[in-house]
Amino acid sequence: MANAIYSGLVQRLLRVPPAIYVFLILLIILSISRPHMLNVNVMGIFIRQVVPLGILVLAQQLVMRVNSIDLSGGGVILLINYLISSSVFPGAPLWFFVPMALMIGTGIGLFNGYMVSKRRVSAVIVTLAVSIILIGLVQFLSSGKPPGDVPSIFSDIYNTKFWSIPTPVLFWVFLSVLMALFLARTVFGRYVSSVGANAQAAHFSGVPVERTVILAHTLAGLIAGIAALVQTASIAVGSVRVGLDLPILAVAATILGGVVFGRGEGGVSGPFFGVLSFALLFVVMTTFGIDDPGKLMAQGMIILLAAIFYGVRTAKS
Amino acid sequence: MSNISKAFGGSVALDSVSLELKPGTVHALMGENGAGKSTLMKILAGVHQPDSGEIRKNGEKLVIPRPKDALDLGISTVFQELSLLSNLSIAENMFLGREPITLFGTIDYAVMEQQTIEALQELGLTLDPSTLVSQLSIAERQFVEIAHGIKADAAVFILDEPTAALNAADVAVLNKHIARLRDAGKAIVYISHRMDEIFENCDTVTVLKDGQLVGTRPLADMTPDSLIAMMVGRELAHLFPERSTEVGEAVLDVKDFKLEAGSQPFSLKLCRGEILALAGLEGQGQQKFLRSLIGQFVPAGGVALIKGQSLKLPVAPSAGVRQLQALGVGYVPEDRKEEGLFLGLSISHNITIGLHSAHSALSFAKDYLKNITDTMASMNVKAAGITAPVHSLSGGNQQKILLGRYLAADVDVLFIEEPTRGVDIGAKSEIYKLLRSFAEGGGAVLVLSRETIELIGLCDRIYVVHDNTIVSEMRAEEATEHKILDAALSA
Amino acid sequence: MNSGQKIADSDKTVRSKVRNMFTGQQSRQGMWLLPLLGFIVLAVVLSVQTQQFFSAENLFNLVAQAMPLIIAAIGQMFVILLGGLDLSVGSVISFTTAILALEGPGFILIPAVFLLAGLIGFTNGIVVTRFNVHPIIATLSMQYILLGITRMLRPVSGGTVPDIVISAVAGSFLGVPLPVFWGLFVILVAWKILHGSRYGLHLFAIGGGIAAGTTDAAHNFGIADKRNIILAYMACSCFAALAGVFLAGRIVSGDPNVGLGFEIDAITAVAIGGAQLSGGVGSLHGTVIGAMVMALLANGMNLANISPFIQTAIKGAILVFVVAFQSRKRMGL
Repeated sequence: MANAIYSGLVQRLLRVPPAIYVFLILLIILSISRPHMLNVNVMGIFIRQVVPLGILVLAQQLVMRVNSIDLSGGGVILLINYLISSSVFPGAPLWFFVPMALMIGTGIGLFNGYMVSKRRVSAVIVTLAVSIILIGLVQFLSSGKPPGDVPSIFSDIYNTKFWSIPTPVLFWVFLSVLMALFLARTVFGRYVSSVGANAQAAHFSGVPVERTVILAHTLAGLIAGIAALVQTASIAVGSVRVGLDLPILAVAATILGGVVFGRGEGGVSGPFFGVLSFALLFVVMTTFGIDDPGKLMAQGMIILLAAIFYGVRTAKS
Repeated sequence: MSNISKAFGGSVALDSVSLELKPGTVHALMGENGAGKSTLMKILAGVHQPDSGEIRKNGEKLVIPRPKDALDLGISTVFQELSLLSNLSIAENMFLGREPITLFGTIDYAVMEQQTIEALQELGLTLDPSTLVSQLSIAERQFVEIAHGIKADAAVFILDEPTAALNAADVAVLNKHIARLRDAGKAIVYISHRMDEIFENCDTVTVLKDGQLVGTRPLADMTPDSLIAMMVGRELAHLFPERSTEVGEAVLDVKDFKLEAGSQPFSLKLCRGEILALAGLEGQGQQKFLRSLIGQFVPAGGVALIKGQSLKLPVAPSAGVRQLQALGVGYVPEDRKEEGLFLGLSISHNITIGLHSAHSALSFAKDYLKNITDTMASMNVKAAGITAPVHSLSGGNQQKILLGRYLAADVDVLFIEEPTRGVDIGAKSEIYKLLRSFAEGGGAVLVLSRETIELIGLCDRIYVVHDNTIVSEMRAEEATEHKILDAALSA
Repeated sequence: MNSGQKIADSDKTVRSKVRNMFTGQQSRQGMWLLPLLGFIVLAVVLSVQTQQFFSAENLFNLVAQAMPLIIAAIGQMFVILLGGLDLSVGSVISFTTAILALEGPGFILIPAVFLLAGLIGFTNGIVVTRFNVHPIIATLSMQYILLGITRMLRPVSGGTVPDIVISAVAGSFLGVPLPVFWGLFVILVAWKILHGSRYGLHLFAIGGGIAAGTTDAAHNFGIADKRNIILAYMACSCFAALAGVFLAGRIVSGDPNVGLGFEIDAITAVAIGGAQLSGGVGSLHGTVIGAMVMALLANGMNLANISPFIQTAIKGAILVFVVAFQSRKRMGL
């Protein structure tokens, strides 16, 4: 009997996405090594840095729930950053750039979705190739040099605060809540979990499988467009390298948050904590003097261990 | 094999089953779909490991951790599911895992192809051994599989429904070879649904039901009727509900339907209030016809009217199921685990997804609590709660959830493939009653099943399908297994 | 049983035979004839456009230039035959050059490189087969881990590789660059493994099962599928390491970025060569042709003075184009 209770507890603890544990551990490490950092102002700045990642994770988890993946985010961010910071549209106002960014993202997402669902192309290949094409294009247009400056209105908005919380952070939380509600309260949310769990069965129960996958990718593209705007505002200048590692980090944070291909157990909050874990991880690694190579290795290890965690668990059940 | 037990997840597939095979005999293994025959044989073939029990050969205890070990121990299997690899040639499939090699370590294709030609010729087949299996017909694949199985120098041969896709002449060829193997002192396990084959080929029969051993008898003491009674476990009359008498207007009207370019056109009608069956040998076109209505098969021509509305043929594959749903028709697929249920998701999700899919993706998802509880109650589903994942349920309850999805979605026509695959006898009886009361409430049901007994007992009218067309139509109360087989084979 | 007759009849027409040859429908080797034609057309166009193209010197140099890609693509093909992708190939290449530039004796560094590559492939294979991780995720994380280690060893390019590596790559024999001989030897070895051994056939068998969705089909034939899959990942990493040795000999130093994007080029080469990314269909000659097509294209684009950035974009577009015309049953990764 005691054994049953014990194994029940273990079961429940195993259901908690690893992101929560990682987050708690990092928080403890930080509170011991740098206790003075744990206040709203400092943490706000740390978290603000990962907001573009956090937004892109909303896109990544959506496509990963339907057993797909989107690695094109890097190219989308680079392209939008270039268009805003270069002299292609000199002096254009904010109301021009925002819809432009959203339309570019949506269009690329639609293309990805069409290729993945209608033409059954491997999602890794098509989104990676799209990213390569966009990066090549931007580097060609800018001749490999940083293009220019971003209109100051972007950074002005980026630097505002409400109740001493940075606006981008609030925006991210708002989008996350929106996504959670969207998945939990609409028919589309049911379609997504059905397609992820078993595309065949979804088809036989009347779910429009192909359309669901296309819509998921299109929305992911739209969200990537939003992430690009925030990223551009955060660095305030044009760059030919910005955001290139974000798609992979987004995959890592999503898996860490308990959303693995076709399984959405972690909800929206799991990947949210996955992103927060990365925010703390960067801080902890910086404070301990771990540089770029170490961060790359940590990213790789996190994806690997989280994937093994879920792989072993699915194999058992 | 003695006291073999095996469970998959929560459901027990085999419960302490024993089986004794003697050299020079053909041993029939009988039981309904899901009774545990295939599981028992897969344990003998090293595909599955038993949870308990032991296997002995000539008194020696055997452990068979992998399929390769079964072959090494002299146990050769012809599996029910076609297990050939379609991107390899016939010869490569025949020798896979034990290819002869030349002096240079390359595969000796000359030897392989020569021996393949000989093995196929023994079965009366002239096929180029270098043909890829993907280019073969189902019957040819079945024969290659048989050739692969009986070529091995084994002491025990397992033939799991080897004749499912074969016609009478082919079956005769196979029977000759079974007799030859028996006379050579081999032990043969023969699994088939066809009574006449069992009585013609076999010496002994073992019957399984719901994973348990019913008994082992010499076939000389049995009649087809007593064998069926043994398999079903009770009088057939009690298993099936009363047939209906009243029939309403036609809801499915098929005219001059041609499945393949060269096949005979056929027509059929499904009316309100009746349960209709498509019977016949496996792979003769029953499933192709039904799946052409949802766009998974492109027919050569014809007209299909559903409730008076003409279905545009060929149906678009991505929209077929939804199109039928919009017309109030539910399509219950054959493979519960692969095509039917979301095993990892909750009962409520599995039931309500049919309701949700009637709405646009961006609309608000209702919780349909009342529909779920009503369905659970009317179908008598036993489960811990509506949030329990479906994989935690027994096979019978899973099948009820699947049916419940379509009944909850308020359809009045059901197309069902294999309504009771792998469910226990109690659940079977309940499902039959549900389908009957569905028909009596003004619904119409079209059933495909490998279990001819089930079709005869459950349905009102039976169409016999052979060679991509309907060859005969009969009232179910007048039908027997023998008549159906006769009708199919004499066509 | 007359349906066997029927099949033979329907295919007797010359037209269907020719069509089958080009589409690769009835062969396990995939559609390799079409890329071969493409290769010939490209070569003709290039030789018309530029006088010196068809000189022996230019051709040998072209082959020597293409060697790392050919080798990496052959390795990638082992994994693609199993329906997987190895995204760590580029990192293995960079890692190899970094190890070779550690300034040690060649007789230690060269075996060490292959030992490490084998270990990397082994890890990939174990993670995929034993821990049930999707191949793309497993190799993606390996890509990052290796990239980190490489940048730690050698943050920017530098160091010198052992002389023996340089002379093996830069030297020539009878006027033919040595890499051409090494390349032919490697191709022969790979041909023996893939098309001339039981292991090769088993790879096709396992991949065919995976492509058909019956993952344990080959296992049921008594094939040790897990061990064979692990070996395939090891082969992929070792071929990548070999490509890395070639590159190291050419650039004479260790470079953490030299392998960047190589995995995608290798995948593109394999896909152009007619292999199906869902597994079970492909051929060594197709892959070599695919890599040569890529090399010719690069050569042509360089001659036409096309910006290297646009070249990357074009290569990406080719990849999308080629895979868009492959038929896959399932959607997703």
